[in-house]
Amino acid sequence: MDYTALYPEIIVALFALALPAVNLLLKDNRFLAAVSLAGLGLSMLSVLMYFLDDMGPIAFDNGLMVLDDFSALFMMVFLSVAFLVILASSRSIEGEKHVAEYYSLVLLATVGMMLVASATDLFVLYVGIEITSLSSYALVAFRKKDIRGTEAATKYFIFGGISSAFTLFGISLIYGLTGTTSFEEIGALVGTLEEYKEMLWMALVMVIVGFGFKVAMVPFHSWAPDVYDGAPTTITAMLAAGSKKMGFVAMFKFFLIAMLAIKADWEIVVAMLAIITMTVGNLAALNQTSIKRMLAYSSIAQAGYILIAVAVGTEFALTGGIFHIMTHAFMKGGAFIVVATLATVAIGERIADYKGLAKRSNFMAFSMTVLLFSLAGIPPLAGFASKVVLFSSPIMGTVQGAEWMVWLSVAGIINSAISLYYYARVVKYMYVDELEEGAPSEKLKLPKAMAAAVAICVVAVIGIGVFPEYFIQFCQDAAQALFA
Amino acid sequence: MDILEFAWLIPVLPLLAFVIVGFLGSKMKDKGGIVALAGVGGGMVLALWTAFELLTTGRIYRANQDWVVLSSEYTLEMGIYLDNVAAMMLIVVSLISFLVVVYSLGYMHDQGPRRHRYFTEICLFVGVMLGLVLANNFFQMFVFWELVGLCSYLLIGFWYERPAAARAAKKAFLVTRVGDVMFMVGLFILFTELRTFNYESVWGMLDSADPTMMAFAAFFLFGGAIGKSAQFPLHDWLPDAMEGPTTVSALIHAATMVNAGVYLVARSFPIIATSAEVSLFVGAIGGITAFVAATMALCAPKIKGVLAYSTVSQLGYMILGLGAGAFLWHHGHHVAASVAFGAGLFHLMNHAFFKGQLFLGAGAVIHFVHTEELAKMGGLGKYMKVSMITMLISCLSIAGIPPLSGFWSKDEVLAMTFEAGDAGLTFMVLWILGVLTAFMTAFYMFRMWFMVFKGQPNEGTKHATEHGGHKHEAPVSMLLPLVVLAALAFGSGFSLFIGDGFFGAIYYDHAHVLSIGERLTEVFTSPLTYISIVAAVSGIMLAYFSFNKTKVSAEKVVSKGFPKAMHQLLLDRYKFPVAYDKIGYVGVYGTSLLLDKFDRYVIDGIVNGISAFLIKSGGVVRKLQNGFVQSYATLLLIGVSFIMILLYVVGVLR
Repeated sequence: MDYTALYPEIIVALFALALPAVNLLLKDNRFLAAVSLAGLGLSMLSVLMYFLDDMGPIAFDNGLMVLDDFSALFMMVFLSVAFLVILASSRSIEGEKHVAEYYSLVLLATVGMMLVASATDLFVLYVGIEITSLSSYALVAFRKKDIRGTEAATKYFIFGGISSAFTLFGISLIYGLTGTTSFEEIGALVGTLEEYKEMLWMALVMVIVGFGFKVAMVPFHSWAPDVYDGAPTTITAMLAAGSKKMGFVAMFKFFLIAMLAIKADWEIVVAMLAIITMTVGNLAALNQTSIKRMLAYSSIAQAGYILIAVAVGTEFALTGGIFHIMTHAFMKGGAFIVVATLATVAIGERIADYKGLAKRSNFMAFSMTVLLFSLAGIPPLAGFASKVVLFSSPIMGTVQGAEWMVWLSVAGIINSAISLYYYARVVKYMYVDELEEGAPSEKLKLPKAMAAAVAICVVAVIGIGVFPEYFIQFCQDAAQALFA
Repeated sequence: MDILEFAWLIPVLPLLAFVIVGFLGSKMKDKGGIVALAGVGGGMVLALWTAFELLTTGRIYRANQDWVVLSSEYTLEMGIYLDNVAAMMLIVVSLISFLVVVYSLGYMHDQGPRRHRYFTEICLFVGVMLGLVLANNFFQMFVFWELVGLCSYLLIGFWYERPAAARAAKKAFLVTRVGDVMFMVGLFILFTELRTFNYESVWGMLDSADPTMMAFAAFFLFGGAIGKSAQFPLHDWLPDAMEGPTTVSALIHAATMVNAGVYLVARSFPIIATSAEVSLFVGAIGGITAFVAATMALCAPKIKGVLAYSTVSQLGYMILGLGAGAFLWHHGHHVAASVAFGAGLFHLMNHAFFKGQLFLGAGAVIHFVHTEELAKMGGLGKYMKVSMITMLISCLSIAGIPPLSGFWSKDEVLAMTFEAGDAGLTFMVLWILGVLTAFMTAFYMFRMWFMVFKGQPNEGTKHATEHGGHKHEAPVSMLLPLVVLAALAFGSGFSLFIGDGFFGAIYYDHAHVLSIGERLTEVFTSPLTYISIVAAVSGIMLAYFSFNKTKVSAEKVVSKGFPKAMHQLLLDRYKFPVAYDKIGYVGVYGTSLLLDKFDRYVIDGIVNGISAFLIKSGGVVRKLQNGFVQSYATLLLIGVSFIMILLYVVGVLR
């Protein structure tokens, strides 16, 4: 059998399995981190090879998985996120027990996401989701003695289990109706099932709920703030930037390949959920006092924006959705890594703890400002570019009779305006407000590896924002590959 | 190597210096003075070289780059357009700016760390002014135009802790802003009518354009010049702008800002010439400004005040020349129009040199006596030989005594105004105003000169010389620019006799080439020439008798009756500042108060209401998030039911 399509996943999986063994020989945390980074780097290289070779889609085993522009792009996103998370973790988990397992689990979670990216079959997709989920449960509970962490892990596990159950139920219904689990074959059959419409709708509800949990769609979002808040912050970065985005990849594949034929049945529901999700996320973020919870709600709002791509479902919309996932990975991941970095130098997780930060570390304050403004969608940053594409998609090239979709754009823009309030508040704290009384005022000594991870995100956010054409081109190729 | 390919570097070099001084200047020993000198100096060398190339070959250099492309029809461009007019401007702006920077090294020496800010802003000022000259379209010009305005604001308010300086900066900014808005309206009209800002495209399309709209465009573009070049009735900011350092005054008055307005008129000359009314308006504004400002200079109590009014008055001459030219062109006298156009710019160049010299000389005087009041000076000639002689040259030049530079250009402007009088009687009146202005110019300049350098030492002089103050002239870095500029003030008029002559190089459409003999015959066989010489000489004589020999007591003349009232009115600047304030207070402030009320109660009310509502609803959402898995599960149940119902309802309804 030809395993070419699987090389990126295989490399990461091998490193993930080897790490605990390496740990037996050498117990140095930074060495382990370096090995993990090497694994991710190699895998990135193999994905790059695919891009450079320009050889078109490579299928594996008659269409269980495929390596094409779409999956390769998302592999790059997931690998980059994992890379940044491990780079930042190399310092934030220093001195903890079981570091080898930590790195190993991060890599395994990444393998799961990559499988989802390349899956062309519902079961492969499901397995990928489960690999990622199981690894994440353990990672959230990484600090065993930390009550908040373990509580978060328990909640995450319970809701993850419910979500899996829903998904599986939906999959089994679909298999029962169509007799296949391949996206393409389902897509071909689903339009012919007029007499089983009600059953199909039931399946749709189940899958929407199951995936809705993964992407923290309202009203299935309630686990997210608690888990994001309780988990180690680097893991929060991975959940927000990586595994949540995996949920969107699954949604794109399910809705835009398998269910495209009956789009008229579900587009209004998804559109409403998108608007509800962004609105609830932004409103709840308005008066949070913890920066991690604020960012968690902001993530929920961003999920609402990305759902626009599913609801509109054109190639242009998908381009915007993919682009926003890409930029969001850097800006949200970066923002959480900033929080994690500051935590290592004893700056708390309350937003008020950020008062006067600019006086203690100009770099951190500036980075956070760039990342937050990008999340708010202020030009010339990446978030602006991706929102432009995403929000203009309901207006451009929608089919007749779907003019109501313009409201998706309107909702997105109004929500962006609301969100500016809580993002700008942090910036005001950092730059305008004085340090809190009694707080230390000396300059911060930042861990270099974490600062580097932050710097990469900032550079990416500015770079993508200034030269969006190239990245949009990549995303467009990916969108075309999915629809092909 | 074609030097013109490097023309873009001319503004870039000073701007580079601006960046370097801005970021690193505070760490340098001289606060960036040398870097500024190098940047502006480099710009000058390139500018002079470029100008030489342009004027000797008669080439026109064009470079173009699309800037903002909205569609093929709506495109803004960035580019360079260099012709003979731009070449002359390059010479004037770069040369004087460079000399001012040299002078500043000495003049600003005692300012300590503040020099950092000074040199930073000066570099920006020079850079954007050169950029303005290079522009190839009206929009680009406007961009730099606004930047020039910003710089003037910063520099006039350099001593921002002085309330007078802060006020003056604000006034300069706001009053010129009235002109800027008109400029903008002009731009809008141009673009809606012609879909382009490019000079050459605009000029080329004038024949086919709607003449009424073009007249409006010309009128509003000229409105921009009224503000920037301090023309009546927006002239009043310029005297106040004296609150900045004297070097800044020299730069604003001689080299940069006010010339920008004249340059704009020169660039929109073809548009103005399409309409007889607007041409006449331009000329009339110029003539009135020249006259009104000259009367105000007659009794100005401060040395820089005299120079400021004088600048306004001389700018009036330039505008008068250009207006007469446009008028002549409109009536088909193309050769005369070209000469009038050249004469206005000729006066711009000459004025830049002698006025630059006068300001820097005044700076040296103020540096010495530490006062600006003319009444407190006197007898300084003994101590400041170089300043006295160089300023005498400039005074003679501006008064219009042959063969100094001011004579040639002023004579030409008046001659052309007289010629325009053939086509429209109004220009005859303007010519009379111009001659009267020439008389007053000679009088007030020599009033100043005698009061400063001759006569008995007054308190300021005594204070400076007796109480251990310096008894010497200013340092070399200050004297050198004085001498160079005095030489130019003396000799720049002879450019009439170099090569094809000034009017053979700087012209509109028709070169006017005359040999030396022909030129001299033309000038000195005209009775008009003798009228302006007589006016100038009698002005100087009157000043001599009243302020040196004190045969005529100026104080006695203005002590009672109508002269007294007139004197007071002039001191009050014809009540213009009061009028500005009234208009500003009642019209603008009143409106803004009304809008403020509206904003505060209606707009803010809505905005605050919305935000209060949002934050409140945020609190509701937050309460749902109580951390219990059970309540989340409830939410889940609601969610699933909601989606299911929704999906079925939508499905069935379809």
